[in-house]
Amino acid sequence: MLTYIIRRTVYMLPLLLVVSLISFTLIKIMPGDYLTSARMNPQVTEETLQAQIQRFGLDRSFIVQYGLWLKNIVQHGDFGTSFDTKMPVYKALFLGNKLGWTVFIALSTLILTYLFAIPIGIYSATHQYKPSDHIITFFGFLGLSIPNFFFALVLLWILVVVFKVGDHGLSVGGVMDLHYYGASFSWGKFVNILWHMWPVWVVIGTSGMAGLIRLMRANLLDTLSLPYVKTARAKGLKERVVVYKHAVRNAINPLVTILGLTLPALVSGSVVVAIVLNLPTVGRSYFSALQRQDEPVIMAGLLFFSLFLLIGNVLADFLLAWVDPRIRYD
Amino acid sequence: MKNALILAGLLVLTSLAVFGQGYTTQPTDALVFPVGVAGTVYEDMELGVQGGTLTIATIEDPKGWNDMVAHETSTTAITSRQHRGLVNLDHISGALVPDLAKSWDISDDSLVITFHLREGLMWSDGEPITADDVVFTYNDLLLNLDVDTNARDGQLLPDDTYPVCAKVDDYTVSFTMSVIFRPALNSLSFAIMPEHVLAQYVHKLNPAVPVGTFNEAWTLATPLTDLVGNGPYIVTGYQPNVSITMSRNPYYYGYDPAGTQLPYYDTFVSSIVSNSDVSMLKFRNGEIDVYALRPEDIAILLPEGATKGFQVMISDDPGYGTTWFLINQDIGLADGTEAGKREIYRNVKFREAMALCIDKQTMIDNVFNGLAGPQWSPVSVPSPFYAGRDVYGGPITENSAVIFEYDPAKAAGLLDEIGVIDADGDGWRDLPNGDPLTMEMNSNDNTIRIASCLILQDDWRAIGLNATFQVVDFNTLVDRLFGSTGDLIYLGLTGGDEPNGGSNVYNSCGSLHAYRYSACDEPDEIDLRIDELLGLGAGTFDLDEAFGYYTEYQQLLSAQLGYVYTVVGSFQYAYYNYVGNAFKSSTTSTPSGNNGLLTELVFDKRL
Repeated sequence: MLTYIIRRTVYMLPLLLVVSLISFTLIKIMPGDYLTSARMNPQVTEETLQAQIQRFGLDRSFIVQYGLWLKNIVQHGDFGTSFDTKMPVYKALFLGNKLGWTVFIALSTLILTYLFAIPIGIYSATHQYKPSDHIITFFGFLGLSIPNFFFALVLLWILVVVFKVGDHGLSVGGVMDLHYYGASFSWGKFVNILWHMWPVWVVIGTSGMAGLIRLMRANLLDTLSLPYVKTARAKGLKERVVVYKHAVRNAINPLVTILGLTLPALVSGSVVVAIVLNLPTVGRSYFSALQRQDEPVIMAGLLFFSLFLLIGNVLADFLLAWVDPRIRYD
Repeated sequence: MKNALILAGLLVLTSLAVFGQGYTTQPTDALVFPVGVAGTVYEDMELGVQGGTLTIATIEDPKGWNDMVAHETSTTAITSRQHRGLVNLDHISGALVPDLAKSWDISDDSLVITFHLREGLMWSDGEPITADDVVFTYNDLLLNLDVDTNARDGQLLPDDTYPVCAKVDDYTVSFTMSVIFRPALNSLSFAIMPEHVLAQYVHKLNPAVPVGTFNEAWTLATPLTDLVGNGPYIVTGYQPNVSITMSRNPYYYGYDPAGTQLPYYDTFVSSIVSNSDVSMLKFRNGEIDVYALRPEDIAILLPEGATKGFQVMISDDPGYGTTWFLINQDIGLADGTEAGKREIYRNVKFREAMALCIDKQTMIDNVFNGLAGPQWSPVSVPSPFYAGRDVYGGPITENSAVIFEYDPAKAAGLLDEIGVIDADGDGWRDLPNGDPLTMEMNSNDNTIRIASCLILQDDWRAIGLNATFQVVDFNTLVDRLFGSTGDLIYLGLTGGDEPNGGSNVYNSCGSLHAYRYSACDEPDEIDLRIDELLGLGAGTFDLDEAFGYYTEYQQLLSAQLGYVYTVVGSFQYAYYNYVGNAFKSSTTSTPSGNNGLLTELVFDKRL
């Protein structure tokens, strides 16, 4: 297993290099650059613009810019300074406790999604074509098809306009009330975080959950029709044992693989939800950098998300080996 | 317990490090806002009380706390509350008024402006504010090429020199110009920075630090206890993507006539809400006290105001800035193509026909829900130099403005006259040489601009002009603008009171002279006269004389239809009834900045 970990880690490096080259090329192909908006400012003279172009190195050729960027990382571990905020890029991406909140939101949503999706999927499969299965299927498809940002807006609207939560002193959006930021941990703060987090879990969770429910249901139905399940039933085992001990354990493998792949998607894919629900996540810093063509931050952000994706893949492999003793990587 | 006491002691020390004690008595030279004083623009405002927290929404995080290197409004909205300059624009009248300086003199030859600073003022950390801070800000920051600031460009005189700043005594500074340039006075409103804190980051004063260090001073990662200002508020809290908290500066020099130190609110919180729909929900939920609303919000908020206890404030006056489309008169010039189109685009009668087809009222009603006004001039409507006034700063009569009222029949007649007719019978007008005339208008992904462009497209198609509309990415649009490619471009520019601020756009060699860049090499008589008038208007301190020059300049430009102006939205916001003095909007700040609030003078009526 150790050899496998080392091998996978070594493979990551050339992959990240290719990702960075492609990303850099894409950024350069995009029309305009960081200074485009300054060009539209009647108060900014051509001399000032030229000075800024030189300061940011935007007058150099593509290869030179990429080479310098790479050299600084390899030699000094320096990912550059944000054009926009003049801070080192890691601060521009992670300032405050953004990384912490990003991981917390992603992991808590992931856990809750699986906690709900697996039992519901099992229930749906064991009650195939019954009214309850149809209801679950209906809501599953609904969750899958509603765009997350729209769902988030509708949810906030219902809270504010229908339930008038403001009359009870409750705020919406964010991860807690403004006055709790920076305050020491308390029961009130904990309850407040729960109040702010549940819409996040519902919005991000339901879209992923719908797919998982369908997958669990389909896998379990396939497994339940296999001969060894019939054998188990013929042996007179209780239905609960047949389903949970024999069928579910085999049907769950693809979900474990998906677990590792879902993690990076939760980190990078919930940017729009983070904007609507006002969440302090790395994705928002990255989105802001994209809007302003802040190249060093975009590059670092892309590498960060790529790294997350690769780690997610490795994690999926390990988990699969853990739940299925037949799988070995040596 | 012992640890708790030490912690409490440290906290007290920390807060002392950020703020001094404040003035024990009102400084003799305090800036007194004539709140409630009859005969002033502040007469209908109430005296307030100190205390409370005001929360507004802002759409983006600031990019830093350093006003000198700030490039966009999400940052300057915050830093403008933290730093003030020698002069300022009065929040209500828009007139140039003293701020950190208590007065100024202009020499007989109009080349030297001498500022007299208010004496006995302190920075927020209790250090005195003197002429040295002004000289440091101007000579060591603003004119320092190592400092990445756009404010330097505002100081440039027509002969490409800068005013020379010199200390006369501790409370007097002079600015000497090589040529008479009245806008220089307005541009001396730049924020004054504390020398005792920031000099250490300037390479020319402290060679131990690398060149450019100042640009990275006071970033978002800087401990907030390091920030020192002279404005009404100082940043004391920041949660990325969440909020910015500003606390009252105990050494701010603004007072009301009753002797109460301003600002009234103890704390000013900007809640960072990136989605406008969510901002509105938060306002309706009572989380933010003042909301800069969009035209589409009016129908929802107006009926709700009475039951929820808030007011919707609608100003009749259009705001600053211009919205326009340009007809690219240099189309195909670079590669020698599109000669027929270029010839017709350069014909002022064609451009007039295009302008006569604009149904501005439909645009105002359908796109802005009635909350906008027509625009006819390169100068913003609120400017005292706007040609729609009869005298400098007078009421708007539109007597002298060049107006193209909606008249499609006249437009069709003009097109017929210049030979732009439907030659092949396909229903669309063709070029005089018989080639089909198809025009593509571009704008960026902005709902108001898209809706406006679709109305324009329909207006033109109604008289047989084959115009289409295509949304493109903003950067692509700017590339087309500067590359002089494309037919028609719909965009907007920021604006201010001083017409000379647009010289980069309207001067024949200006870098934003995008409707005809070739005018720089081949200026016609009108181009030359416009260049001359811009210089004459800026070269006199006699405002009436300047108004005369600028009126002619606006009339010439408007008649030439290089940029064809459309409509500009008026200013509106909603506020809860408990926010005192919020009914009076500021004409000098934008909704994205202070939500139109008079930052110092709003107060909590519930206290």
